[in-house]
Amino acid sequence: MIISKKVEFSASHICRASGLSDAENERVYGAAANPLSHGHNYIVEVAIEGEPDPVTGMILDLKRLKDVLEERVLSVYDHRLLNREVPSFRNLVPTVENIAIDIWQRIERHIDATGRARLYSVRVHETSELFVEYRGGA
Amino acid sequence: MVSVSRKYAFCATHRLHAAGLSEVENRAVYGKCNNPHGHGHNYEVEITVAGPVDAVTGRAVDLTALDALAMREVIGPLRYRNLNEEVEAFRTVVPTTENLTFEVDRRLRAVWPEVFPGGVPRLEKIRIWETERNICEVGGL
Repeated sequence: MIISKKVEFSASHICRASGLSDAENERVYGAAANPLSHGHNYIVEVAIEGEPDPVTGMILDLKRLKDVLEERVLSVYDHRLLNREVPSFRNLVPTVENIAIDIWQRIERHIDATGRARLYSVRVHETSELFVEYRGGA
Repeated sequence: MVSVSRKYAFCATHRLHAAGLSEVENRAVYGKCNNPHGHGHNYEVEITVAGPVDAVTGRAVDLTALDALAMREVIGPLRYRNLNEEVEAFRTVVPTTENLTFEVDRRLRAVWPEVFPGGVPRLEKIRIWETERNICEVGGL
């Protein structure tokens, strides 16, 4: 069984790769390459896979999941310029793809102390027209 | 591997009427969608691709290329059209959301390797919303 939790954060980012020329950056990222940055209201959907505990009827403690997301993701990302203020993106372009992978890496080990549940997927919606999904691995 | 889903929209007219059925049967099967004058929808098309994240760009898909492809093959040819009358594929096939989803999938797959050499990222799934409550999906099943 899969249970999903949704949280939101707002942040700004600059989509420019240091290995590319200005012209290439403009071509690859379009308006998102603006060096002065731009921002989004991101929606993060975290899906957890597991079986309900026979006693509690719950796959995992949702309050604890909320705390993990708050401490490991929202407190780091919310109302920040991702390129400058989130260490993961010092040398990595904070595209929505890389944001999903970074969120996975931040929370995977902390999902469930009991070993009953595991992280299944991280979906990040950058706009209502674009989202990515990462399920771990290469 | 990351999957990326991108949504587009177009408006079009269609009429659901199967040539092999009688007038009565058509009305029974399609209800008010069988109205001989046709009717329209605001369609939404979601294209999902899957591939590795490029180490330099941080992208799994060139969105500029995907947008151009979607515009050229799907949105441009279908928007503000009468699907039955103006889209070749629906001269003999009923433009249900199911058949429309197959048609969009076929159009994209036909040119996918030209736009994305080696088929990377791969075309994973097409979803079409005919209304907020009618959604059809092909691929990725």
